Amino acid sequence: MKPSLHTVVWACLIVSVAEPVRAQPDALEAPAATATTTAESSTAGDEYFEKHIRPILSQKCYSCHSSRANKREGGLVLDSRAGWRAGGDRGAALAPGMPDESLLIQAIRYTDENLQMPPDEPLAPGVIRDFERWVRMGAPDTRLEAIDHEAGMNVPSDPVAGRAHWAFRPLHRPPLPQVQAAGWPKTASDTFVLARLEADDLRPAPDADRRTLLRRTYFLLIGLPPNAQQVAAFLRDNREDAFERLVDQLLDSSHFGERWGRHWLDLARYADSNGLDENFLFREAWRYRNWVIDAFNADLPFDAFLLQQLAGDLLPYESIEQRDRQRTAAGFLVIGPKVLLGNNPQERVMDVADEQLDTIGKAILGQTLGCARCHDHKFDPIPTADYYALAGIMTSTHVMQQRYMLGQQRVMERLVGLGPDGNTANAAYEKYWRESKTLQARAKQGQAALDLLENGKEEELGAFAKKQAEAVAEASLDVDRPREERIAMQQKHLATLVAAATPPSIPPRAMIPSDVEQPGDEAIRLAGQFNRPGKKVPRGFLRVVSDAPAEIPKTQSGRQELAHWLTDVEHGAGSLAARVLANRVWHHLMGRGIVRTVDNLGRTGEAPSHPELLDALASRLIESDWSVKALIREIVLSRSFAMSSRHDEQAHAVDPENRLLWRAHRRRLGPEAFRDAMLAAAGTLDPKPLDSTVSYLGDQATAVGANKNRRRTDFPCRSVYLPVIRNDLPEVFDVFDFADPHATTGLRPETIVATQGLFVLNDTSVMDAARATARTLLETSCLDETGATQPASVRVERMFERILHTRPTNDEREALLTFIRQTEDRLTAEGAEEPTVQAWTVACHALFASSRFQILD
Amino acid sequence: MRCHQFYKTLTRRDVLRTSAAGFAQVALAGMLGQQAGAEDTLAPNAAGPTQWAHFPTRAKRVIFLFMWGGPSHVDLFDPKPTLNAEAGKPLAGSSVGSDAKQLGTLLGSPFKFSQHGDSGVWMSELFPQLARHADQMCVIRSMHTEGNAHGEALLRLHTGQANLVRPSVGAWVSYGLGRENENLPAFITISPPRGHGGVQNYGSAFLPAAHQGTAIGSAEIPIAESVVSNLGNRRLSPALQRTQLDLIQSLNRRHLQDATTDKQIEGLISNYELAYRMQSTMPQVMDLASETQATKDLYGIDAKPTDNFGRQCLLARKFAESGVRYIQVSTDYTWDHHQKVQEGSVAESAKVDRPIAGLLEDLRRRGLLEDTLVVWGAEFGRTPMVENGDGRNHHPKAFTMWMAGGGVQGGLTHGSTDEFGYAPAENPVHMHDLHATILYALGLDHKRLTYRHAGRDFRLTDVYGNVVRDVFA
Repeated sequence: MKPSLHTVVWACLIVSVAEPVRAQPDALEAPAATATTTAESSTAGDEYFEKHIRPILSQKCYSCHSSRANKREGGLVLDSRAGWRAGGDRGAALAPGMPDESLLIQAIRYTDENLQMPPDEPLAPGVIRDFERWVRMGAPDTRLEAIDHEAGMNVPSDPVAGRAHWAFRPLHRPPLPQVQAAGWPKTASDTFVLARLEADDLRPAPDADRRTLLRRTYFLLIGLPPNAQQVAAFLRDNREDAFERLVDQLLDSSHFGERWGRHWLDLARYADSNGLDENFLFREAWRYRNWVIDAFNADLPFDAFLLQQLAGDLLPYESIEQRDRQRTAAGFLVIGPKVLLGNNPQERVMDVADEQLDTIGKAILGQTLGCARCHDHKFDPIPTADYYALAGIMTSTHVMQQRYMLGQQRVMERLVGLGPDGNTANAAYEKYWRESKTLQARAKQGQAALDLLENGKEEELGAFAKKQAEAVAEASLDVDRPREERIAMQQKHLATLVAAATPPSIPPRAMIPSDVEQPGDEAIRLAGQFNRPGKKVPRGFLRVVSDAPAEIPKTQSGRQELAHWLTDVEHGAGSLAARVLANRVWHHLMGRGIVRTVDNLGRTGEAPSHPELLDALASRLIESDWSVKALIREIVLSRSFAMSSRHDEQAHAVDPENRLLWRAHRRRLGPEAFRDAMLAAAGTLDPKPLDSTVSYLGDQATAVGANKNRRRTDFPCRSVYLPVIRNDLPEVFDVFDFADPHATTGLRPETIVATQGLFVLNDTSVMDAARATARTLLETSCLDETGATQPASVRVERMFERILHTRPTNDEREALLTFIRQTEDRLTAEGAEEPTVQAWTVACHALFASSRFQILD
Repeated sequence: MRCHQFYKTLTRRDVLRTSAAGFAQVALAGMLGQQAGAEDTLAPNAAGPTQWAHFPTRAKRVIFLFMWGGPSHVDLFDPKPTLNAEAGKPLAGSSVGSDAKQLGTLLGSPFKFSQHGDSGVWMSELFPQLARHADQMCVIRSMHTEGNAHGEALLRLHTGQANLVRPSVGAWVSYGLGRENENLPAFITISPPRGHGGVQNYGSAFLPAAHQGTAIGSAEIPIAESVVSNLGNRRLSPALQRTQLDLIQSLNRRHLQDATTDKQIEGLISNYELAYRMQSTMPQVMDLASETQATKDLYGIDAKPTDNFGRQCLLARKFAESGVRYIQVSTDYTWDHHQKVQEGSVAESAKVDRPIAGLLEDLRRRGLLEDTLVVWGAEFGRTPMVENGDGRNHHPKAFTMWMAGGGVQGGLTHGSTDEFGYAPAENPVHMHDLHATILYALGLDHKRLTYRHAGRDFRLTDVYGNVVRDVFA
């Protein structure tokens, strides 16, 4: 979170605790100047407190600083004398007798821009003077001493107490529960689901029909619909294990990684440009994207998957290819959005670390780590010290470097050359841009020298050569040689100069981090402000998980150790990471997570609907050596996955949100599957993987001033390869709730907004796909064995099957036939070209727009 | 989509307000909030105050005139005799402090300033038309913000933050006030910048997507050539499209029948109708042909150099009249005068002076000015010091914005800068304060207009912002 000054300064400053000093009230200032006895002065002081101070405290301060209301901003409470004495995280709030030494007075004076209370607006000057007087009087306070600052205090950020939160507990493996409908479950997951349903007297929905199950399985595993042959083959397959075979075939498909890799890319905030303030192109980000897709296809165990993304540049390798693959994976740390211009370099380092920790926290641990940047986490057991223990690992890592771009030296994402001579090629390329102005000037000078030579201006040439020696070939100055030869020499030299001034092609390189030269611990930044360093904390991990100190070699950042810790079930966060991942897999397959707040398993997240099931799935994941495919396979082969989405009045009354899974959740296709399915129906989808789809763009990915850059979307590739330009997403992504690539998104929003309707009804890409589908239907797939055209009713069935993978009812068939006939008549009457194709196009378009296409049953 | 008034969202809010069960439920409500777009979009609409109406409503809508690049306040609204007197000398003075040495020398303003209207608001000669409305304007001379580069400053102006993606001001307004006209979006941005944060500057971030600004064209495209994406079908006649939609809907209703009940299918069905209505309403509103020649002349349409901005401003009035809550009009990236600030200011002022004056006049004549808050400004101002011989650099430390209409006290000058226009001297107004003040004019309390996301409540002003009550009558 962004530093929020007012609320955090108290929390984050560490100031030595001043022993309260009792000073004599200033006789001149004291309200009862004539009072001399202690008792009297005390009474007067008490009155003063009651009249001038207490009302203000209660009106202006208790809302954030009250033990009764359990509000302890910055650890400070002001509703008891003990409260201000003990003070907050910065120490005592008051030094009785010494207003200038009192933090509270400092705060209400509003003189320190980082310490201003109350945060909304300053107290009236008169009130401030009252407080100053009160402190000079020794801060008399009539309130009970009895309220103990610490008693019953429940500090949410306490890492030890935090271990009781369900997500941090060890995995629990109870025996399978007893169920009445013992014949229903196919897998252990089913037994947990059924037991929970039965506990509420509910029953699972009947199995979905085979067509529905087929469509669901295709989309959820590979993001594509089955084609007509695949539907037919599955419907024909009577073998007991037909579905199992199908699932295995889909898990083996190279399209699997394109679907499931994209789920990870949502978490990794993958993008092809920086976004935020300066939207510079990430020309090489696609290598990371394709690495993720390949990793899912290869079922790279999740622990290794994380290790390479966090520390791939530090790992040993046996071949250059392996080295480059691992390094490319670590692009995960580099592709975040960053404020690039105008900010302080130190600030940027802290912002980058914050962005990385926020991503790691949410994506891997389901924790909002970023909240602890400015203050101890207000809800979860993450103290600020733990945040900076992790931050030290990130600030010991370079992800940025100085590079020349657009004629300036800039701080940009770090790039490293790939291949055996990658470093040399990269260095040569960068050197060119550093020197390009000189090189171009020199080429011009070379031309000028040639002109002088050709025009016989010997004297001027000599003078010129003295100034611009490098632009002139030595031999061309040699007057003893024939002129022709001298000209030839200079021409040759000029050619070299021109070649040197021509931009070289970009060598293969990738976004790769490295450890800094001197890795070290990070200082807590007070109130999250980069320029207010506090105490240093040793690099390490979250103490809520384990007290064991991190063993990080002095010369390294600690990223390897962090990656190991994340999946270490014994001593690290392995159980938590397994829960987070298992929950995500369940979410993608079943439509909702067991914990629906998939990026937040903290105290502000939701509790699991089926805690034992979640632990069972997490355990399976660990037992299978973190095989994501094995977990997916197990869930997809369950009976729970195969339920129909049928409505049930009784169940709906008990559980309207279907948390207990009495039926399958209907879900939207999402933009990628929506587009890919249209292109698949049209027969225009190119199923091959793609490299960069942004290489044609200039260095700024979106337009500013004269720059007219615009990403293209007309590639016939699968949607996962389309350009993900932050702040300029392809329209279909933007409209249909693609993940905002600025931050981890485990749960894409599912909105229904008018722009979606407008897109489906009017976008040319939809109409183009409809037309291609119509042509295919009319030209090829609607011929019978003899090559004769099938009757329109058969064609309508083919169309329905091709787009929706189901058969029309009689009503639907008749409605479509009538529509097509009438449309054709209308278009013919209007003199339209190809009225038949057009009429079928409009009908195909209608099916693309229909809810059966857009929603998975 | 008036928000939070009907059963579904009310239930969600009720959970927030009344739950004694603590955070689990609150967070759940926040999570489900991500999926509440459907209800928000589809709820019946009304113009009345929503549950967010915290204060008396001064304005019902906002028109924000954005001068992309950063106009020079000392050449337009903030006269500085001392700056002129000391031109060529290094900047010095109490508010400059230790920076003075590296800041460079002062560049005087060649423009003549005078007082206008009964109230005597100061303006330079570059806004002769606007000057006639001086008594309607409240000029805030003490604006300040962060961000030395355009990108960061634009994001702060439009969303309050730069290093995290946050909802834009217009999205918050849409969320807080809902839709007045069910067939139009609540937030429209005319010719928005594509760079420097681009769509983030009118995005909804974690607010439901329905609150995102609807863009008409983009800054580099003349407005006359701009369209709203997919607002109409280029291949099907309206009659054919209607029969197609009827077919789609009959298929959908059959699907819904099979499902018995399903929010998503129901949502899809209503949404097609909404889209269809929008695509007939928007072009009607956007059609300038129905405007009289006199009105067009008022805005400088069909005349150089005012045509483009004139059209943008007239569109803004038409949207305001049709019930759009937040309308932004942006210039192209033309106010960034690192060189030739004098020529640049002359040229750019000439493009916008008559259109803006025309807008104020038109709104006034139609009785709209009293409940339309017009705000003029940019991401930052420009330095009193010289750059490149005859230009000025970016200057977030102090600059001028002005407001008119919407309950604002006309003829007022609020705040001041030091003798050079380098730093605010009296009543500084931070960008967060401006945001709080805009919401206040709309009857919204910036501290109470919140949205729960990722486990906590967010607001436009984060933990900052003070309403500048003095600017209101």
